[in-house]
Amino acid sequence: MTGNIMALASSTFLETVRDRIFYLVAIFGFVMLSSTAILSPLTVGAQGKIMADVGLASMVVFGLLVVVFVGSSMVRKELDKGTIVTILSKPVGRREYLIGKYLGLNLTLVSMLAIMGLMFLLMLYLAPGSFSLRYLGAFYLTFLELTLINAVVVFFSTSVSPVLAAVFTLGVFTVGHLSQSIRDFGQLQEGVFQRQMSELVYYLTPNLEVFNLRGSVVHGTAVSLEHLVMATVYSVSWSILLLVVAGSIFSRKELRGE
Amino acid sequence: MIIQAPVINKAVDRAGRGIPVADPHSVEPDHLTGFSRDSAKAQPVVLEVRDIRKSFRSGFLKRRIRGVEGVSFSVNRGSVFALIGHNGAGKTTIINCILDLVHADGGEVSIMGMDHRDPASRVEVGYLPERPYFFEHLTGRELLQFYARLLGMPKNRRASRIDEVLEMVGMTEFAGRRLKKFSKGMLQRMGLAQAILGEPKLLILDEPMSGLDPMGRREIRELLMKLKQAGTTIILSSHIVPDVEMIADTVGILKEGCLVAVQDLAEWNHDFSYTGELDLGDRRARVRGDGVADLRNLLNDCHRDAIPVLSLETRRTSLEELFMEISGGASVKREVVR
Repeated sequence: MTGNIMALASSTFLETVRDRIFYLVAIFGFVMLSSTAILSPLTVGAQGKIMADVGLASMVVFGLLVVVFVGSSMVRKELDKGTIVTILSKPVGRREYLIGKYLGLNLTLVSMLAIMGLMFLLMLYLAPGSFSLRYLGAFYLTFLELTLINAVVVFFSTSVSPVLAAVFTLGVFTVGHLSQSIRDFGQLQEGVFQRQMSELVYYLTPNLEVFNLRGSVVHGTAVSLEHLVMATVYSVSWSILLLVVAGSIFSRKELRGE
Repeated sequence: MIIQAPVINKAVDRAGRGIPVADPHSVEPDHLTGFSRDSAKAQPVVLEVRDIRKSFRSGFLKRRIRGVEGVSFSVNRGSVFALIGHNGAGKTTIINCILDLVHADGGEVSIMGMDHRDPASRVEVGYLPERPYFFEHLTGRELLQFYARLLGMPKNRRASRIDEVLEMVGMTEFAGRRLKKFSKGMLQRMGLAQAILGEPKLLILDEPMSGLDPMGRREIRELLMKLKQAGTTIILSSHIVPDVEMIADTVGILKEGCLVAVQDLAEWNHDFSYTGELDLGDRRARVRGDGVADLRNLLNDCHRDAIPVLSLETRRTSLEELFMEISGGASVKREVVR
């Protein structure tokens, strides 16, 4: 079982990497350099913070782009083109297939984030007084957030079209960052229905603000080990839940029409 | 006889006596079981399909359209069973049900005694889909390495086995090229390569000759003959009847989702008529008869009485004629299931 999952993960990784996905990393480097060149003259004394802010936000945006656009079509493309049938005609379970694809995309994410992280740290190193290893905590939280989003997109891609899967995933990403605010807003409402709906949204969507400590990291606060552990548990739990449900849907799916 | 469908006795009738096409709804699984037991004495059953049914929802109203209905057959080790039928007759659906790529509405399938829904039942199965498509950014060799890993092939065996199958399908020189640069025929060969990679006991090929030029078809046919001689059980679907005739031991003819005839080709090859001319010294005599026993008697008599045989011509219905007669020239036509 592990062998199958690893084989699927590595082939998915190789396929996405060769599909010129790393062009996005080059764009990231360009954004970092541009932000330094453009914003530096405007931000006397806060150059490092601006660079860090733009850099961390860019990592999330580019990572999200990869997850949503690669992940949403990953399973569907193989279903439509028929790649999946030769894989599942081998002794491979459908859940193994999904987990392999999920891990393969995670592997791509790790590689992307690692390269972007190195570029980010290098840029900070070149800006006097900006470099700090506390950013590693923010990188890790970004990775956890994107792996969770990856599980969300895999979940949707087993049941709806790539476009809908991308739209729904972006929706979950947006709501996930606003869920606490939606809940707080709901509690201020007088109507029971509004309060219940806001509670429902809060519990049905992952709270992605758990992973968003970028602002405080930029302003000099390191992420605590306790928070990193809790965030890991939170991300892994949601991912497992989503993959279990996705696996259950996928097991019942007809892989070929007439 | 190695394979049977309970709905058929004997489908050939060159004298125009009509071909029995039984009601597909009258399938009796016990019938099949009895037959299997007899044949199992000779060779173990590799695949047993019992009364599978599959319908699809189609159109705006999502009406149920029959895919296959009450199909039963079994295939013994080392034999080649071909499913032939028009486009849409249900060949691919049966194969997809066997491999659990689509879930049958009813019936049972066992592969080497195991339930087909268990992924472990596919350890010794090789499959070539009708239109094989693979990860296009991988090279031919990387693709086979990937499948070797899925098959659980030991690391030290992979490289040599991959070289072997690349050689067998004539793709050695293209092994380092990415699949997106492959032609349809080359993809078909790679599809066959991944199917035979694990030295499967059961090879399922959906339109294996599709996309190949005449030379390629011949090469693949020869490869399949070699695999057959090596004892691999093969199930293939095709609508290229002459190819099937050369490879298969038994054919199953599908019409509108029903298996309407199963014919043992060895048996069928003995079922022919002949006409001949004998030299009786003072005159010539024309003779005619049916079947191998009749012909053998005639030739023995001629040999015993030293009668020269001036000419001898045999005639039997071609598989294509049989197919056309049974399938009635029907194309895609599906019954709506209520």
